[in-house]
Amino acid sequence: MLNQRFATRLKMMLLAAAVIFLVLLSRLAYLQLYKGDYYGKQADGNRLRSTRILAPRGLILDKDGKPLVNNFAGYTICLQPHLEYKDETLALIGRLLNLNPQEIRRRLKLAVNTYEPVRVKSNLSAGEITSIEEYRQQIPGVMLELQPERKYLYNELAVHVLGYTGEVSEYELEHGLFKGVQIGAIVGKGGLEQQFDSVLRGTDGQRNEEVDVRGKVVKQLENIEPKTGHSLVLTIDSRLQKTLERAVDTHLAELRASGAAPNAFGASVVAMDPRTGAIRAMVSRPAFNPNLFIHGISSKDWKVINENPFHPMTNKAISGEYPAGSTFKVVTGTAALDLHKVDPNELILDPGYHWAVPSMGNAGGEVLGLLDFQSGFAASDNVYFYELGRRTGIDNLDDYAHRYGFGSVTGLGLAEEASGLVPSPALKKKLYQGEEGEWTLGDTFNVSIGQGMVLITPIQLAQMLSIVAENGVKHQPYLVEKILNYDGSVAGVPERKPAEKVSVSDETFKLIRQGLEAVTQAGGTASYFSSLPVAVGGKTGTAENPHGKDHGLFIAYAPADNPELVIVCVVEQGSFGSTSAGPIVYKGLEEYLKERAGLPETVGPETPKQEEGK
Amino acid sequence: MHRYLRNLDWILVGAVFLLMAIGLVLIASATHSYAQSTGQMVHVQRQALFMLVDVILVGLSLRVDYRSLKQVAVPLYVVTVVLLLAVLLFGVTLLGAQRWLKLGPLAFQPSEFTKGFMLIGLAAYLDNISYSLNNFTDYLKPIFVVLVPFLLVMKQPDLGTALVFLAFSFSMFLACGFKMKWTLLSTLGGALSLPLIWEFLHEYQRNRIRVFLNPELDPFGAGYHVIQSKIAIGSGLLLGKGWLQGTQSQLNFLPENHTDFIFAVAGEEFGFAGCFLILLLYLVIIWRGLSIALNAEDDFGTLLAVGITGMFLFQVLVNVGMTIGIMPVTGIPLPFLSYGVSSLTTNMLLTGILLNINMQRQQLQF
Repeated sequence: MLNQRFATRLKMMLLAAAVIFLVLLSRLAYLQLYKGDYYGKQADGNRLRSTRILAPRGLILDKDGKPLVNNFAGYTICLQPHLEYKDETLALIGRLLNLNPQEIRRRLKLAVNTYEPVRVKSNLSAGEITSIEEYRQQIPGVMLELQPERKYLYNELAVHVLGYTGEVSEYELEHGLFKGVQIGAIVGKGGLEQQFDSVLRGTDGQRNEEVDVRGKVVKQLENIEPKTGHSLVLTIDSRLQKTLERAVDTHLAELRASGAAPNAFGASVVAMDPRTGAIRAMVSRPAFNPNLFIHGISSKDWKVINENPFHPMTNKAISGEYPAGSTFKVVTGTAALDLHKVDPNELILDPGYHWAVPSMGNAGGEVLGLLDFQSGFAASDNVYFYELGRRTGIDNLDDYAHRYGFGSVTGLGLAEEASGLVPSPALKKKLYQGEEGEWTLGDTFNVSIGQGMVLITPIQLAQMLSIVAENGVKHQPYLVEKILNYDGSVAGVPERKPAEKVSVSDETFKLIRQGLEAVTQAGGTASYFSSLPVAVGGKTGTAENPHGKDHGLFIAYAPADNPELVIVCVVEQGSFGSTSAGPIVYKGLEEYLKERAGLPETVGPETPKQEEGK
Repeated sequence: MHRYLRNLDWILVGAVFLLMAIGLVLIASATHSYAQSTGQMVHVQRQALFMLVDVILVGLSLRVDYRSLKQVAVPLYVVTVVLLLAVLLFGVTLLGAQRWLKLGPLAFQPSEFTKGFMLIGLAAYLDNISYSLNNFTDYLKPIFVVLVPFLLVMKQPDLGTALVFLAFSFSMFLACGFKMKWTLLSTLGGALSLPLIWEFLHEYQRNRIRVFLNPELDPFGAGYHVIQSKIAIGSGLLLGKGWLQGTQSQLNFLPENHTDFIFAVAGEEFGFAGCFLILLLYLVIIWRGLSIALNAEDDFGTLLAVGITGMFLFQVLVNVGMTIGIMPVTGIPLPFLSYGVSSLTTNMLLTGILLNINMQRQQLQF
């Protein structure tokens, strides 16, 4: 009988069966118990789709709450990340939307670790939307979504303060420059948009859906609502800002046309309230339109900006470093008077040159004879100030320069602020070898009149003048007054340094102010300011420029008896400060006084340009 | 009647009934979305109906001694070959394979029945020659008997059924006394001829093997089944997601989940515990089958029992292995669980034969 002869074989078969079942069970255990979570996630990956709901970015408002930057709704096209896209499909999308298919492929690759739809193009035109809808069958996995887009309502107005926005770049992602941000996210670049990016950005929400194998939505699950970003209320007065920008553009054109300053393309203005440090206007020229960057700037537009030799994207008000010129005489005067190196009524002779360094005299070779402090300051006599510098000494000059905040950044809250330079004997020794590195009296003379190695930024000048106007109280310049929630309630106030008192006597400041006020009277270098309804304290400056025409500077505050506004203007290659920068400051003060008196704006208020994006 | 009940292998009967019940539950879940959209539980009803019919058929078959099958063995073999030829010549292609014959409104897969017929035929033949296996030429004849239907099925192409043929043939050869060294040699020869077989395989079968070795090669095509099956099973964890709660099955991520991939439904909805239970029940069937073979009254009974048991074992191994990614994808259904009338009926009748063999044995004991 077979089952007797081969009983062992039959029993072996049973054993074999048991072994087979053990193998199956162990594999099951591996899948279900060891790797269960992994497969659970895969299962969810199959069926759960979550799409990001972009949070609208916070608004940026001027000091009166008028929006300067807001958002509007635009259509964006995205692709689901985990489908296979054939080359023809991407080529079709590229054709319909005028995009490079390789670029789309690259974006898909970058998003491979997320489950998020990949943004392909934003702010579609009506025509593009129609084409996509027409070809929907051939483009599976495509999603059209309504999303918020940034809008700079007044184009170039205050662009250097505001900054611009764009998609986060691979470089920025790799270097972790923005926290919690993924490919396709919109971030701020430059200006306040970048500095306050995490405040403005808000929190994206999530739409969760369950889909079947065809990607069709089967069930809406719980959504996470997006939280709109916080808004910023700035210190900027848009009326003053507009006036100053227009004044700069008009006056620079005139300067160029007249032949007096054919290369005057670059300029900056800072207007500040000395009582608080609030920056009422900040202008830098040339400028650019931030709306160009929202969907990625076209190469054509970028070429124009990038190849402009006057650097439209630099904020010259904080990054431009110039010799101070005669405006620095405020420092020299302060040091000399405060240290009692000179009596304000003392008469000093100007024979056209200084006896200690006869080669150095006045700019135009003038000879002004005997001068006391007031007349010396008002006439901006170099020889008078050489003498002051000689008596005070470079170390004291440096000390007072630092007290005024020169040589350091003001910390107003924008990136790329320059610190300028206060030259010292130690520095000169470091920079030059041997005899060349020895500090000379001539060097001190140059510092006394703000030439040579002295470098300042316009905002530092504004800070200096504010200290003078406020009798030594030094406020931190700032741009953001407060931060608002979406509903308009106040969320907070950015941290600011508390006010300091510069240790200089009140008497000294009074004398300086008298000198400044004399500048704008008859006999001063900017006497045309006297036609303004209030008394103004000011100072002209002309900075030597070895590479071209001299730069023109002008600083002023008004009203003189109780200062409310400080304005500083620098015109690159504008030649004399009085004729280049002065008139711009004049226009600014004029408009400010009008506003203060409740008079209407000089040219009617501009309606925001509603440009449908290109 | 009493006699039947006394001699019945209740453990085997119990295991089969339990599996069929589980099968109904799984099919109900797998076809749930279809049932919801059409308003009728078509698949469950059909399967249940045929379960009932098959139980009756088996009951009736028990009245007849299994040994009478010996008389129809040769005709059965002939019918097998004829049916297979018919499929090749007149067959209808459904689901991409020419395996179906249409009789009016019914389409059925003869290959399911041919499995049974072949098994019986071979058992009878081996029964005759089991004591005369001496030289090599004696082995050639049974091999040839198996080879003809095997090639016909391969031609359809139906790799799965062909392999099942080999499986039960091999089991029966073992039980029949084929010398170990010959069997080892022929296995070696088979292994060496794999490259040759590769040449004969259709492209899609080759792809099946390629994708089996690496399902990620074609995640949206041939690899899709297996990847989805593993996901479904893996995500079931210990106790599963619950009946009708299997997201992969319900959302149609898992195709063929009421037929070949029914085990994945079990894995997803009832977890490791459920899979363990099912495999245990199959092991019980194997155990009972081999037990019956050991205690059979005659060689024919032993051979039949071994062949049937070997066939069940092979089908379970290949089907479950496929769903968990350790076997290539073939069209072999899971006995008693997969939806399919032909497969259900064949397996039921074969179980009937097992019971029959067991019963006849009991009869001799007084």
